[in-house]
Amino acid sequence: MKKIEAIIRPSKLKDVQKGLKDAGIPCLTVIPVKGTGLQKGYSERYRGTEQSMILHNRTMVICIVSNDNRDKCIDVILDNATDNRLGDGKIFVYDVEEAIRISSRVRGYDAIV
Amino acid sequence: MQVVTTVAVDQSAELINAIDTVWVAICAAIIFLMEGGFALLEAGFVRSKNAMSIMAKVMVDIAFGGIAFFFVGFGVAYGSSNGWFAFDMNALNTDLGLGLTVSNKLFWFIQLGFAIAAISIVSGAVAERMKIWSYALYVVIFCAIMYPLAANWVWNPDGWLSQRGFNDFAGSGAVHAMGGFAALAGAIVLGPRIGKYKNGLVNAIPGHNLPLAAVGAFILWFGWFGFNPGSTLAAVGNWELIGTVVMNTFLASAAGGISTMVYTYFRYGQIDITMAINGVLAGLVAVTAGCNVISPTSAIVIGAFAGILVDVAVVIIDKMEIDDPVGAIAVHGINGMFGTIAVGLFAMDGGLFFGGGTELLITQVLGVLVIAAFSFTVTYLVFTAMKMTFGIRVTREEESAGIDAVTFGVESYTTFE
Repeated sequence: MKKIEAIIRPSKLKDVQKGLKDAGIPCLTVIPVKGTGLQKGYSERYRGTEQSMILHNRTMVICIVSNDNRDKCIDVILDNATDNRLGDGKIFVYDVEEAIRISSRVRGYDAIV
Repeated sequence: MQVVTTVAVDQSAELINAIDTVWVAICAAIIFLMEGGFALLEAGFVRSKNAMSIMAKVMVDIAFGGIAFFFVGFGVAYGSSNGWFAFDMNALNTDLGLGLTVSNKLFWFIQLGFAIAAISIVSGAVAERMKIWSYALYVVIFCAIMYPLAANWVWNPDGWLSQRGFNDFAGSGAVHAMGGFAALAGAIVLGPRIGKYKNGLVNAIPGHNLPLAAVGAFILWFGWFGFNPGSTLAAVGNWELIGTVVMNTFLASAAGGISTMVYTYFRYGQIDITMAINGVLAGLVAVTAGCNVISPTSAIVIGAFAGILVDVAVVIIDKMEIDDPVGAIAVHGINGMFGTIAVGLFAMDGGLFFGGGTELLITQVLGVLVIAAFSFTVTYLVFTAMKMTFGIRVTREEESAGIDAVTFGVESYTTFE
């Protein structure tokens, strides 16, 4: 099992969610996050005072998928989350040791499908 | 025949009292709602970790301030005065010499609205860092003695400013400059919030809920249509004056909003809505003194000037490293002073621009300077005395963690159910 962790633009979430659903891997968890890549944040003005290094709003999408679905999931995110410019976000992939469905106590691969 | 006439006269007097009572009671209730406006405006302009502490402060303003104004303040303001001071604990039961056609008790209630509006100005400037009990003590002092003295000078028929012909219709000087300069002294003695100023640089600490602040401003805006017209204190015989006051009040506020939007658009390249909120309020504050004696055009000019003045003042006050989270000093202090002085310039009868000479202008300048200096000095002394004894500022840890969680044991927005 793999954990796909994608940081994307909030405006792309609906497209990504739909893409994953159409690809047959509909399960996901979403967290609103703030952060910056190489842009180093941006500036804003509040009541006449400039604020620098403001972090961008992004959405973190977390999917736990079988090894077979790993590349499909990544491709769906790549296809749906991009504006083809800086700030589109990143995807990280991790190994998952165990998964347990709380309601039925089923473990392993069966817990995530 | 004689008997019939007497009855008719009695009935018409009774009718005048009834009509005036309805008018003043409605305005007093509208003014009271302004406290809700203050609470929301200030809560929106501070960080979420201190939002409930603002609610607590405004409740303290109303409750502690109201009781203090009942026991002491009213007698100091409207008791029989030697010009500078009164101390008449029986004032509620005597003729105040104001020619009132409403109950003294109702007059007390509408005046209470002014007193707690003045102290609520201070609550914004000391937000996010003041101890609640020290603040409550200051509220009692302010509503029992400080504000009532200014009201005594300006509105008591024997007050020295009243005698000189000082025109402060609904309180640009006695309420707003009074509260605004108290806020200035309070903010100076308290010092800035942690992290606001570092190495000569200003770090903005953005408010956590700007729509909430805007709602607060809209409620205050609404409340002003009780605050100014209600200061006629009677409807019968005043219907033309009430119309003048309402229209001038609106025109100045709208002009203040427009001038702030235009100014910030050209100054920063974008309209600054939080400043526009202050600009509208600045226009309202500035027209409060003269709304009964100026022309509609003058109201627009005064409001437009106030809208720009508040933007400039907010930035200058920040440069001086005086931390005012909500802009109370710029809105109420600076524009209260400007509005009071503006009467001497724009009054159709006696104003400098309308050929009235300088006599009224000098009275207005003198009056508002005395009020501002008095308010600033006494607040500075009271705050310093409290600071040196039991302290006025929350601990560093409490300020970092948030006053809501530490002092009150609540959070405004719980993350989990």
